[in-house]
Amino acid sequence: MTDRLPVVVGVGLTPFAASRDDCNVRDLAVEAVLACMHDAELESLHAIQHGLTSYESDHFNRQMTLGAILHDTLGLNPTPNVRVEGGGATGALALRTAWAYIQSGLCDSILVYGCETNGKSISSQTANQLFALSADVDWEMMVGGTYTAFYAAMMHAHMEKYSTKREHFAHVAVRNRRNALDNPNAQKPMDISIDEVLNSRPIAEPYTLFDCSLLSDGAAAILLSTEGWAKQHSPAFSVRPKVVFTATGCGTDTMRLGDRYPNLTNFAGKREAARQAYQMAGISDPLHEIDVAELYDSYSGVEIQAVEDLGFVSQGSGGPAIADGLFDRDGYLPVNTSGGLLGRGAPVGATGIAQAIEVVQQLWESVTPERQIHNARRGLTDTHAGIGTICVVNIFERRD
Amino acid sequence: MSDIDTRILSQLEKKTAQPKYISGQDDPWSAFRQVEIITLELIQQYKHSLGKYSRFFIELENGRFLGTKCSRCQTVYTPPRPLCSKCTKITDWHELPGTGSVKTYSVMHYSSNINDDVRVQAMPMVLAYVLLDGSSTLFPHLLRAENNEVHTDMRVHVTYNQGPVQHPIHLMYFAPLEE
Repeated sequence: MTDRLPVVVGVGLTPFAASRDDCNVRDLAVEAVLACMHDAELESLHAIQHGLTSYESDHFNRQMTLGAILHDTLGLNPTPNVRVEGGGATGALALRTAWAYIQSGLCDSILVYGCETNGKSISSQTANQLFALSADVDWEMMVGGTYTAFYAAMMHAHMEKYSTKREHFAHVAVRNRRNALDNPNAQKPMDISIDEVLNSRPIAEPYTLFDCSLLSDGAAAILLSTEGWAKQHSPAFSVRPKVVFTATGCGTDTMRLGDRYPNLTNFAGKREAARQAYQMAGISDPLHEIDVAELYDSYSGVEIQAVEDLGFVSQGSGGPAIADGLFDRDGYLPVNTSGGLLGRGAPVGATGIAQAIEVVQQLWESVTPERQIHNARRGLTDTHAGIGTICVVNIFERRD
Repeated sequence: MSDIDTRILSQLEKKTAQPKYISGQDDPWSAFRQVEIITLELIQQYKHSLGKYSRFFIELENGRFLGTKCSRCQTVYTPPRPLCSKCTKITDWHELPGTGSVKTYSVMHYSSNINDDVRVQAMPMVLAYVLLDGSSTLFPHLLRAENNEVHTDMRVHVTYNQGPVQHPIHLMYFAPLEE
């Protein structure tokens, strides 16, 4: 299997924005794929053997069978295409699927492109209805609950059990938006204080406005292949550090929080995804063996839960560890150097792919100098759907 | 907005988009910068079966609160699960007294706004996850308490109302239990 481990041939993404009303979802995908093609120094897409389309919602994008339509738009016919969906984890699940397609021998190269128009083009009433469909539709959404409230109820339990403080997760809201200041593709870079987070308007207690991530338009693309295919087709491949997609894990949990009782504070599916990925990558001490990570900060406190569930720190100690700066850009394990979902944005189908792009570019040492982490050899992405209902952990390693 | 063509009823805006997301001097899309934006209205309405959950909602009309119970592992599910997720066994309906304890919650300043039952609620409101006495899982619903005062392990009970409601889940809510 090792000789078929996918390598990263090229990456491309659009800037993320609250509204890209100069584009429809096709245009965004084209922008990202062209950027990816240029990054890989390919003349065309014709040598690529497979396409993989990553998007969450026919409703967000106002188009069904978007896989077929984007594949057509990109001129990839008659090569095969598959569409992958896994809620918020869609982009990471897409990459995991691509990993398996290459490992299996089904193809030697696969273009993974993700997109979503879930920004301002969707009216708030329509957005409410669509998000209701993404929870268990007959229960907590119908009583009036929101995803913010489901996450908030988890965080409330975490605060009571482990004495986690609002200041701990406000640190994430501040740090990730500051990281975004050095990412020209970020949607909402901000330099705000802990107090501004604490004093912003409450959305679902304990979460305030600045604890919440963004709704975005955008697209992202990654070309994966065998090493042999990359050497044959991509002039860029041999002139930059080789980055290999070495490991992937996936875990799941119940749709409704209440069905997890008494485990309300953390993401069991994420622990399972990490366990699988670490086993595959031969990692036994993730805090010391991972150099850079993009974590799924859909809400600021989720990053606290993530560093615990990914085994960076022990259960319950994520809050103080984060507030102490362990995961800051100049800390021991820098996370969300892109700005994360809080600062860079989150067009759902593109999010997991964009997280991987940040990690890959960190390993290539090709991000803006201000946010470059030096000598990073191994990077991780953490992405999930629902309230950790589908969790995916992907690991990329520099091998040169 | 002045150049809207009134012959196109859905038209919202016509503009020349600025290539602000393109770096460098040459905009490869310069011939594609005219943008027209319209309203796209899709009305979606369904005959939505509550399926094997239905008896739960029907019994709310009778002021009874049902979960389901697995006869193999004895797990009691609220909301009901027709299939035990531990044993892959079809469950039995199981009536509960409707009293319980809050295990976690959030005071919501915005709701899903999903139906008229929710839209009439005064904000903020409490979403409570309640461990009903005799159940193994938590049931999420609104807790109507004075000044939204709520705490973990607070005793509550299912309160029934006669409606009219749009969604039968709103035939009940939680209220503080005076013991």
